[in-house]
Amino acid sequence: MRMLGTLSRSFKNSRQGLWFVPLIVIVIALVALTAYTDDFATGQNLNNLLSQAMPLIIVAIGQMTVVLLGGMDLSVGSVISLTTAILALDAPPLALIPAVFLAATMIGFINGFSIVTLNVHPIIATLSLQFIVVGIARLLRPVAGGSVPDAVVSIVTGSFAGIPLSIFWAMIIVTLGWKIIHGSRYGLHLFAIGGGVSSGQGNAARHSGLADKRNIILAYIFSALFAALAGVFIAGRIASGDPGVGDSFTLDSVTAVAIGGTQLSGGVGSLHGTLFGAILMVLLANGMNLANLSAFLQGAMKGTILVIVVALQSRKKMGL
Amino acid sequence: MSPATLKFAPRHLTRIPPAYLVFVVLFATLWFAKPHLMHINVMGVFIRQVAPLGILVLGQLLVMRVRSIDLSGAGVLLVVNYLVSSGILGDVPPVVHLFIALAVGLVVGIINGYLVGKRRVSAVIATLAVTVILTGFIQFLASGKPPGDMPDYMNTLYNTKIWALPTPVLFWVFLTVMMSIFLSRFVFGRYIDAIGENPTAAHFSGVPVEKTVIVSHILASVIAAVAALVQSSSVAVGSIRLGLDMPIDAVAATILGGVVFGRGGVWGPFFGVMCFALLFVVMTSFGVPDPGKQIARGLIILLAAIFYGLSHSRE
Repeated sequence: MRMLGTLSRSFKNSRQGLWFVPLIVIVIALVALTAYTDDFATGQNLNNLLSQAMPLIIVAIGQMTVVLLGGMDLSVGSVISLTTAILALDAPPLALIPAVFLAATMIGFINGFSIVTLNVHPIIATLSLQFIVVGIARLLRPVAGGSVPDAVVSIVTGSFAGIPLSIFWAMIIVTLGWKIIHGSRYGLHLFAIGGGVSSGQGNAARHSGLADKRNIILAYIFSALFAALAGVFIAGRIASGDPGVGDSFTLDSVTAVAIGGTQLSGGVGSLHGTLFGAILMVLLANGMNLANLSAFLQGAMKGTILVIVVALQSRKKMGL
Repeated sequence: MSPATLKFAPRHLTRIPPAYLVFVVLFATLWFAKPHLMHINVMGVFIRQVAPLGILVLGQLLVMRVRSIDLSGAGVLLVVNYLVSSGILGDVPPVVHLFIALAVGLVVGIINGYLVGKRRVSAVIATLAVTVILTGFIQFLASGKPPGDMPDYMNTLYNTKIWALPTPVLFWVFLTVMMSIFLSRFVFGRYIDAIGENPTAAHFSGVPVEKTVIVSHILASVIAAVAALVQSSSVAVGSIRLGLDMPIDAVAATILGGVVFGRGGVWGPFFGVMCFALLFVVMTSFGVPDPGKQIARGLIILLAAIFYGLSHSRE
């Protein structure tokens, strides 16, 4: 018990947030799912689970860079949809892949620039971008269809020496996210800017000499780029373009980040927390599927979890 | 801080809601390009279509004035739509529909108000999640199918006219006048003004900030329920796929009308909604496809927000 007390005290004022809560729930969920269902602990299901979790993990990492700043990116779902629409265009893959990331960079830049320089509220900026981007995706591909280049499909769904490639990709992307958020000066700046915003001193970081505007724009670019990466994964899995495929990811990514202990007001959070949050979301969906819960109720369930998690976070500011 | 480009603009010009300007431009476009549409009966039909949106906006502007936002209108709309059209209530007199709808609005409003005002949850997240929950639940109840027909009296009422003007439009205008009086003549309106200008200062001046925010959210959801009734009466068959379009359009129209988290009036958003009506007429008559309309909608929100962001960037 004493150890637990020390542990919780050292976490209490941590900048990394309550990341161990989702971890504990994951362990409980894993044990419960293995014990109560026959199909859960099979190789096939676990493999499915990973490929389901990958896009959400990637988007959530990007979303988190923005949430750490006390912002929010509601355009990530549309970037995913646009990515699959671009990839299903009739063009050589060597042109499509750069186009995807170029488009994402532009969207992220427009988000960041509108927020920082043009003084637009992050939610309004990213929400309106979401409409524009989904509109473009629907212009490119009005309904789901087309085909994604084989190269993309095999990169995503292939395997190497019996191990699915997605495991390697997961490790690379998580390492990259770790590097950005916890292993770089830039990450430290994110925490500094977000901490200022969260404590009501919006300009604290600037007054300490940080180039906050540039860093904020960069965070929105990261968010869009990670969303594009998730889009590539989804395109590889469904092997076609779909202008509506990303819709659910916007709110799911925010939920995953929030479950992972990242404060939506900014300044507190951790990459491993977000990772656990995303895995927990997917486990939950998997469990609800195995329990044959109606897809509609699953949506309601996710919303309920989001409300509960966010209601438990304390925040000074009222309103948006 | 202020961008050089706006320095020449007189201060009071940047204070005019963009909705008025956009309205004039769209109206002129229609006047010259499609003069045959400029008939009171034709325009009445177009404007009648946005009456539910216009009513929804009255609640949206209330919460946006206190620096919050309400995206739960979609959920309220769906629940009311389902309750009225599925026949789950049995054969009841119209007044029961009205009370049930208002009760739905009240409950959702209290939940929103509690989450935003008491628990300090980000209003976007809270109200979006409420919509997701309500949508999932209603779709489950309806097992994914359209629930049924709307009662006849609703459609009859919707199609009536007083003089040459459609009743729903007059109802919308009436509610807007009421809201305008409510905000300018009652203490509550002053509280909202004070919180919009500066919540901290309002708190230390004795304004009940928390209570005002909660009441605004309750009012917004009750107004959303009224909008839902008007929306339900405009369609013959109930639907379970209304989507988030309405509340987002409401946010857009409100911003267009010059209300951006803290300040603004009632008639700006009114013309913001009128702009939406005209815009869709213009785009439909010029044959712009659906995705194009979506892009235009996004651009309008963004440009309106940028306009206001720039003109208030000194603060």
